[in-house]
Amino acid sequence: MKGRNFFALYGRECRKVFCSLTFLLYAAAVFAMFYTQFYSGVNGPEVEPKQGESYYGTVAREVPEVLMPRATESLLIEYLANSYVAYPIGFYKEIRLTETKRGEMADIICELTGFTREELDRFVRGIKGNHEKSGKNSFEIGEGNGDLQIDGNGFVVDGGGNLGEEAFSLPEYSFSESLTYERFRKLMRAADKLIGGKSKYSDTYIIYNFSQVPKTYEEAMEEYRLLIKEDGVTGGYARLYCDYVGIILGILPVFAAVSLMQLDRRARMEQLIYSRRASSAGIVFARYAALVSVMILPVIITAGIAQAKVMGYYPGVDMDLFAFARETFIWLLPQIMLVAAIGMVVTELASGLIAILLQGAWWFGSLFSGSISGGIGKFSLMLRHNSLYKRDILMEQYGDLLFNRAFFTVLAILLVMFTAVIYEEKRRGRGIGIRVFGKNCKN
Amino acid sequence: MESEFLAKIVKINLRHNFLQHLLAAIGIVILTPVIFETSSLDGKLAAQPLEMFLCLSGAILFTPIFLPEQDENIRDLIRSKRTNYLAVCAVRFAYSAVVLAAIIGGFTFFMRACESAVGWQHFFGAFVTALFLGALGFLGAGISGNVTVGYMVAMIYYIANFTLKDKLGNFYLFSMSSGSGDGKLFLLAAALLLVAAVFEWKRVREG
Repeated sequence: MKGRNFFALYGRECRKVFCSLTFLLYAAAVFAMFYTQFYSGVNGPEVEPKQGESYYGTVAREVPEVLMPRATESLLIEYLANSYVAYPIGFYKEIRLTETKRGEMADIICELTGFTREELDRFVRGIKGNHEKSGKNSFEIGEGNGDLQIDGNGFVVDGGGNLGEEAFSLPEYSFSESLTYERFRKLMRAADKLIGGKSKYSDTYIIYNFSQVPKTYEEAMEEYRLLIKEDGVTGGYARLYCDYVGIILGILPVFAAVSLMQLDRRARMEQLIYSRRASSAGIVFARYAALVSVMILPVIITAGIAQAKVMGYYPGVDMDLFAFARETFIWLLPQIMLVAAIGMVVTELASGLIAILLQGAWWFGSLFSGSISGGIGKFSLMLRHNSLYKRDILMEQYGDLLFNRAFFTVLAILLVMFTAVIYEEKRRGRGIGIRVFGKNCKN
Repeated sequence: MESEFLAKIVKINLRHNFLQHLLAAIGIVILTPVIFETSSLDGKLAAQPLEMFLCLSGAILFTPIFLPEQDENIRDLIRSKRTNYLAVCAVRFAYSAVVLAAIIGGFTFFMRACESAVGWQHFFGAFVTALFLGALGFLGAGISGNVTVGYMVAMIYYIANFTLKDKLGNFYLFSMSSGSGDGKLFLLAAALLLVAAVFEWKRVREG
């Protein structure tokens, strides 16, 4: 295909995408997300912390003296109820351990608290006896019980979620002098492993959950300095913008891609296009380029509005003028590219419904499985950093971020090449694709 | 004769137009206990899997009701038949609603067996939530003549519930999970209204 023809085809595809209902909905959703989450949430400049204020907020900082007693107490309560809270895919899950694992957990608690196994067992039996005697709330601790839950404050909660009598006063315990912080963290990791991961004691959550301490003036000031100087003001805002808009871009491009790929079939143009001289690669890449370039338009527009708004709040401050453009292209463009490519290849290979379901499942898993600040994995679909601050956390992960986006860009192009191969095979009349219920799905 | 005819319509549609969507909905059901805790939950927590995930089965079942006729050839064929096209769609809607009720009812029973504090209000709330999401998909697909648009409308509204939360007022899908459970009757009324509007639109447009 000659370059001129390619660009003519690209132009036609751009018009098709731009005039489609799916793009209209996509653009509306991007604007709505931007407006409700970012635009209406940024209402003025960040205020410089003043010395002598009583409160500068809290920060999750690794302070062993704070972390160790709080985490131990929580683990002890959960052990006694045999009910451990975890968030394997971001949602609350209650884990109950088998007898074997419960025994292993008891060993961990004994090492943490200095109890012997006999003392711990006696304590469990004591609670059981007290509740049996009380009659009204005859809760029972032990395997197979479903009635007893003890919430984080040590209160008994019945099956209906009603607060019952106070469960117990935790027995006095003291850390063994020989228990080092390193050993403590190792025990917490072991506890997390027994629970099945992503519990309150995992490396990801333990500091956040049990070591929130008041921020000092110096820390608050350093955060502010990083935003103003290192991030050039707009850098932090650009990341927050990408975080919000990225949620929508993790799923919606797949609809536009599916719709475009099905357009020929729906307009009964499939056979006509198959007979044209244009190469399959040319048609598929023109379509893909059109999808990506049209879908990035609402993102560019909203990023421009965001940049203008933020700049208006900081007159006279030296700012990074390219932060929004840079973050948009590094952070969001590869995401649009990949999601659109998945929509194209799966629609061509199987069906639009399967493309939507697959991307929906990935989107759901990605949205709820990571941390919302600094949730950047090498293969995460959505990169989360829901904060103007915490630049240091992001910078630690910036290598992963760049790898992630470069990998997704390459993967997207490979998927489009594969789409072109499938398309070519179909034009030649060879059946290729996953056959669902005896025929290729048409939705 | 009428009932035989109806049974034939149901049988053919179930076999040719429903199976893959039913399997997708069952996939959602199977995934739910993997993602969410289902045992020994209080009323508020028990609403989460029902309202936040199982409701997607509504969008999966109701959105593709007009799908077979999205193919122009089938649409032409259907138009040539004596049986009213919209009556066939109404039959599809009815069995989708029955299946949705069975899915949500079955899962509610399952949670009850797992000693979670669920009751009729959970079943009703979850069914209405799924029905409303399905009605949105049905509306998008029906008006545009494109099922993908239907799925997209339902998905956008689903995402809006995570971002706007109770700002959606009576149309907030996850109200039981936030402890109130208000607005389910509004959702039911809105869902029925949307469905009626789509049928009327189709009747006027396509006869």
